[in-house]
Amino acid sequence: MTRGLVALAIVALFAVPWLVTNTFFMHLAIMVLMWTALGAAWNLLGGFAGQVSFGHAAFLGVGAYATMIFHLKLGLAPWYGLVLGGVIGALVSLPIGFICFRLRGPYFSLATLAVAEIIRIIAINWETLTDGPVGMLITTLPELRVLGQPVDWESKTPFYVMIATIVVAVIGATWAITRLRFGAYLLAIREDPDSAEAVGIDTVRTNVTALALSAFFTALTGGFYAIYFRYIDPDAVFSIALSVEMVFIAVVGGLATAAGPLIGAVFLVTLAEVFRERFQVWHLIFYGLFMMLTIRYLPEGIWGRIGLLLGRRG
Amino acid sequence: MALLEVSGLTRHFGGVRAVTDLSFTVAEGEILGLIGPNGAGKTTAFNLIAGYLRPMAGRIVFAGRDLVGLKPHAVTKRGIARTFQIVKPFRKLDVLENVVLGAFLRRRGRREAEAEARLVLDKVGLGAKIGVPAADLTLAEQKRLEIARALATRPRLLLLDEPMGGLNPTEIDQASLLVQRLREDGITIVWVEHVLKAIMKVSHRVVVIHHGEKIADATPEAVVQDPAVIAAYLGGARDGHAAA
Amino acid sequence: METLIQSLVSGVLTGSLYAMIGVGLTVVFGVMRIINMAHGDLVMLGMYGAFWAHVGARVDPFLSIVVWMPLMFLFGMAIHRFLLRKVVLGGELNTLLYTAGLSLFIANLALFVWTGDYRTIKLSYAVMPLRPFDIAVPIPLAISFGLAIVITVALYWLLARTDMGRAIRATSQDAEAAALMGVNVERTATITFGLGTALAGGAGVLLAPSLYLYPTVGEILVAKCFVIVVLGGLGSVPGAIAGGILLGIIESLGAVYVSVAYKDLIGFVIFLLVLLLRPAGLFGVGKS
Ligand SMILES: Nc1ncnc2c1ncn2[C@@H]1O[C@H](COP(=O)(O)OP(=O)(O)O)[C@@H](O)[C@H]1O
Ligand SMILES: [Mg+2]
Repeated sequence: MTRGLVALAIVALFAVPWLVTNTFFMHLAIMVLMWTALGAAWNLLGGFAGQVSFGHAAFLGVGAYATMIFHLKLGLAPWYGLVLGGVIGALVSLPIGFICFRLRGPYFSLATLAVAEIIRIIAINWETLTDGPVGMLITTLPELRVLGQPVDWESKTPFYVMIATIVVAVIGATWAITRLRFGAYLLAIREDPDSAEAVGIDTVRTNVTALALSAFFTALTGGFYAIYFRYIDPDAVFSIALSVEMVFIAVVGGLATAAGPLIGAVFLVTLAEVFRERFQVWHLIFYGLFMMLTIRYLPEGIWGRIGLLLGRRG
Repeated sequence: MALLEVSGLTRHFGGVRAVTDLSFTVAEGEILGLIGPNGAGKTTAFNLIAGYLRPMAGRIVFAGRDLVGLKPHAVTKRGIARTFQIVKPFRKLDVLENVVLGAFLRRRGRREAEAEARLVLDKVGLGAKIGVPAADLTLAEQKRLEIARALATRPRLLLLDEPMGGLNPTEIDQASLLVQRLREDGITIVWVEHVLKAIMKVSHRVVVIHHGEKIADATPEAVVQDPAVIAAYLGGARDGHAAA
Repeated sequence: METLIQSLVSGVLTGSLYAMIGVGLTVVFGVMRIINMAHGDLVMLGMYGAFWAHVGARVDPFLSIVVWMPLMFLFGMAIHRFLLRKVVLGGELNTLLYTAGLSLFIANLALFVWTGDYRTIKLSYAVMPLRPFDIAVPIPLAISFGLAIVITVALYWLLARTDMGRAIRATSQDAEAAALMGVNVERTATITFGLGTALAGGAGVLLAPSLYLYPTVGEILVAKCFVIVVLGGLGSVPGAIAGGILLGIIESLGAVYVSVAYKDLIGFVIFLLVLLLRPAGLFGVGKS
């Protein structure tokens, strides 16, 4: 029954571009999915293992820059760069993890924030690699044929399919993790790291693994960001605000739930994009407000509350 | 050969000499009581053995291998499980899941781990509380849960840190029964307790520490008559700490 | 040699203001064990307070501190009383996330009301820097430095000599023991948050004539703030003062001897090293 619903949802997800022609709506859908992917990737670490990172923009930026650099400097098609960027994001996360996981709670959060700022400053100043503050631009995306058909980069459809695939992958991974011993271990670490060690859980290794997975998906989405917007600069992709927004999507949707980030993104991003049309900053005012209201009145998030109402375990 | 052999164990915190040159052994199948007034260094000794603190000096040899420098999880894998004096359950998870997390150490699959967890929970008398979040248990139940979680890792040596601390007399009697049952199962236990009556009844041997140093190591009957022990406990009693 | 002295002097001057911001964050952490992500935005509010006092009411920005600090004190108490008090019970991570939301809310509300324009305060009496011993000392910074010292001394007096100060220090050391000794911990927390907010706002007022102001300046300030309090040891007031001055010096020496571009990097790298190697701060007085 659940399995059928999930299959139906996936089919519906991929059917959207063939049912919708409105460009604004397609853009909205792509933004919702992009933030779903980011929120879900963050949730792997922040929601399940309870390690609140304020520095995930670092991985988004690394993925975006890797995609751009491979394309512009080495001529690698960006869709390969995107996957490679994900791997690089995961690799970059390893030393960061081994450093930051020596700290707990808010200290961990502050450390991730510092690491992200360090990476941002490096990206601004390492001009031979990143072109510095002027940013990087893809003027035209290279030709690509799928099933013999040339892809139309002027339409939103190929981007939609790309990001929908990433979302299915990250939510699928989350769902799989909740079934495995690994997922149970993450929750144990969130609940009490000392007790987790006492039952034989290598908390540092488990956290580092979760971070690497989370960084992989975040960087992958960063690569998508680069392809979709075709322009990035350090302040755009490495900003603290971006890290904080990822946190909000996951918290408002529901920490440690597979579908929560989707709900959070639908809710917050729709709001944001609708308001952005008229007032530049209103959406961030609302983000802040919703964050406060959620923590105060709905700490389990929207999807978490629905789960509780349906009487599910966990 | 002893299962656990601690020698010269030392750890100070600034000026506080929490544990100094502590040596003792535990034989397979033995129940060793570790007693001493409040602040004597008992919990610190456990933290050193279980890998939560690094000793400044000394060796901890378990089943022939030195444990010093291992992280707590590695110590647990080697077969030493502990409980915490101040209970640390996985608060939001239910009772079953708490113990399943212990059982996962030796059994990867959820079904086998759950089966094992249920057995252990029945043994400690929490079989009826399986679906309750750990945070909602009474203190006595949480102390049992700590024991169940530790047992589920299938330890060769169990370190119990005041499993009766803070309990009322009825609960103490029940807990005492539980430890006796574990003793019948042949598990090796080092048991820290404040409540001397219970520990004297169940232990094969008792080590007394005071100000971080060992002052006695003998049978329960011999220890209660040891003048050094009596003096230490009277000193402790004046601070209002010693019980029984 | 001259450059060295010059950058040491400007480092200390800026550092005194950093110290004041850091002290505000650290007293709040000491009493409540919360890290206030919105602290930088409270500084930003103080900066705009000074700006509007100057532009709107033609009041000297430094003088406006006598209005803004008490107002910010009340504002902070209100934030704690009506918003934070319940959230703190939910644990430190909840509080962290909540104040991150508060930060976004305040900063973007300010962006909406005051737009993203960069503004500066021009003081007629502060065009030329003072030149004692051939060292350039910008007048606004010199005045700020003097006032920061006065405020810090006043704070020390308050903490050391008044009942409220004693309550704050007791709660900071051990909240449970303080409660047993009859300290109203809840009320102390509210007042402490007010105090922290007043210090943030006051520092903002003092910073305003020396910095560009724009609504999201808090983002940069709060990051610096974390560096400061971690350097000095979280929860320690003298630590935060030392940490602030140290960061001021590091930045100004770094700008001269390393590079302007990487000067902010140095702060963060030291921050990470201290977090990892000396979690109680450089002087070992913080609460980890
Ligand atoms: N992490 C620590 N830091 C500083 N002092 C500690 C620490 N842990 C324990 N102590 C001190 O070491 C001494 C022994 O404590 P502990 O081992 O808990 O005693 P017991 O368990 O026998 O009551 C006490 O004086 C205690 O205050
Ligand atoms: Mg103890």
